[in-house]
Amino acid sequence: MKHLKAINNKAQLLSKAAEEDKVEDVVAMNSVMGCAATFDPGWEIDAFGGVASLCQPMEADLYGCSDPCWWPAQVPDMMNTYPDWDDKTASTKDDWRNLGTVFPDDKK
Amino acid sequence: MNNKLLKPLGLGLLTALSVASQSAVAEGDAVSIINDKCVACHAKESDTSWSRISHMRKTPEGWLGTIGRMQVMHGLEISSEERATVMKYLADTQGLAPSETEGYRYALEQRMNTHEEFESGLFTEMCARCHSGARVKLQHRPESEWMHLANFHIGQYPTIEYHALARDRDWWPIVKEQMVPMLGKQQPLESTAWSEWLKAGDEAVVGSWSVAGHMPAKGDLHAVMTVTEKEGDDMYAVALEGAFADGTPLTGEGSAIVYTGYEWRASIKVGDETMRQVFAVQDGTMTGRMYSADDDSRGMDITAAVESGKARVLAVQPAYIKAGTETELTIVGANLSGEPSLGKGVAVVKVLKSSDNLIKVLAKAGKAEGVNTVAVGTTSGAELAVYSSVAAVKVVPEFAVARVGGNGGSTAPVEARFDAEAWAAGKDGKAGTDDDFRIGFMPASWTAKAFDEQAAADEDLKYAGTLSDNGVFSPAGAGPNPDRKMSTNNAGHLTVVGTVTDGDSSVEAEAELIVTVQRWNTPPIP
Repeated sequence: MKHLKAINNKAQLLSKAAEEDKVEDVVAMNSVMGCAATFDPGWEIDAFGGVASLCQPMEADLYGCSDPCWWPAQVPDMMNTYPDWDDKTASTKDDWRNLGTVFPDDKK
Repeated sequence: MNNKLLKPLGLGLLTALSVASQSAVAEGDAVSIINDKCVACHAKESDTSWSRISHMRKTPEGWLGTIGRMQVMHGLEISSEERATVMKYLADTQGLAPSETEGYRYALEQRMNTHEEFESGLFTEMCARCHSGARVKLQHRPESEWMHLANFHIGQYPTIEYHALARDRDWWPIVKEQMVPMLGKQQPLESTAWSEWLKAGDEAVVGSWSVAGHMPAKGDLHAVMTVTEKEGDDMYAVALEGAFADGTPLTGEGSAIVYTGYEWRASIKVGDETMRQVFAVQDGTMTGRMYSADDDSRGMDITAAVESGKARVLAVQPAYIKAGTETELTIVGANLSGEPSLGKGVAVVKVLKSSDNLIKVLAKAGKAEGVNTVAVGTTSGAELAVYSSVAAVKVVPEFAVARVGGNGGSTAPVEARFDAEAWAAGKDGKAGTDDDFRIGFMPASWTAKAFDEQAAADEDLKYAGTLSDNGVFSPAGAGPNPDRKMSTNNAGHLTVVGTVTDGDSSVEAEAELIVTVQRWNTPPIP
């Protein structure tokens, strides 16, 4: 971080957390089964061990997660695996209810 | 095919095994389905061997995940019955021995708050950052197949480069030269445990089973589970009849299937709720978890013993008695005969009820503290804690994750359930020392508060959900909330406080609760 300077609030918080060794909290969260937390930020938890700095509402930028396959174990990746996941959801903000879970269910 | 039980699961949460759709399964059927459906990509190597498929071993859930992935990624078209048939065949012929699943069954049992820890930091970093480490630990392959798996990841999920910290290091040689050889050595295709297991006979399950269990934030339970044969290979009808300590009935009927000779999977309708059972059958006992198909956080720990087998003491409920007091205790077991004994200093004042699997007694504890062994005749089993005061409490789990859901969306809310575990100070009278002993889960009162200043400023307590009097946190609805700053989700960071009252004093403890957003990937192994 020698050559980088935090200029916005979130970046300053991140610098502060790193200085105070709070990053350890996030490592702990990483090991809760089925959660991904060590990315920047994780899907379930932010870099400070809370949820306030998650990209929320996550619907606002959900395709920014699914298009590039960012949390592929939590969010269906539309890059390779579930290209049609967004078929019924032009607007995640308005139509998020149309987004389904992806494991192939037994047929009715 | 009876799909009635499956209908309520149309939310896509059917990630566990489809017991109800299982029909007659025969090896010949499975082989012909594989020859029909899989050989377009998987080369046939012999009558019962195919490329890739025949070079790995997995749990039933592992095989279900594989077939599901073939459907999603490679356009495999397969009916529910065919999928169940192939899954059964592969789990039976290429499964894991009981000892190979030990320590990782929490993933099969959907214990989502499990804190995973692995000896190898490399393993944690490379395999357990996106999904559970257990998903990997529950597979056995030769090195060449582990290499294929690594190649599959990089082809299917190109962002693995970022996740594996490719910006900071040359990660791929670490995969090839360290991870793959390590996995091939630690989890090889061939193992003595598996070859020995194949020689051993399947575990017997038909009969009547005495069941003891505990549901967080609800209490202890006992029941009788009757298992009868049903048409189909390793298929059974199940009837469960029992109750929780507070009198709530736990009664229902359903179907079960046994994979790999010991992997019991059942689907039982209890009231309006479909409950799944994921048990390991071993030597006349079953252990595992029974949980709601709609919300796997709503589940109970179960142990059971077959009534035609050895005498066993499974549990004493409650598992504690206060020194110098009288209380009713229930001993749950199988084939119980003889006098109940509650250990030194605890007298059986009266036997109130006695049967082969249940003995209810009025017990009176003396002044001596400690942990006693409970016995019936010559059979001992459960432990009874005799305490004089509650010195400390731990909230279990100490760290929980709940998820927003519902509100018209496809994912159900995931609740968090808390128990207050009481501890006694032991001989030195000081809590937090080595001689402390566990008293057990005690009734508690529950409150929630903001975890920190940020959570208070964001009013997480107001929006994230509600905590019931008995310690069940029900998260709020999914979706953007226009009432919150920036229409943020109903996520939150809370502290849950459990308070146990013991006479005139009360002891409290805290747990951390993350209420976070939903996940749409719901594979059979998290």
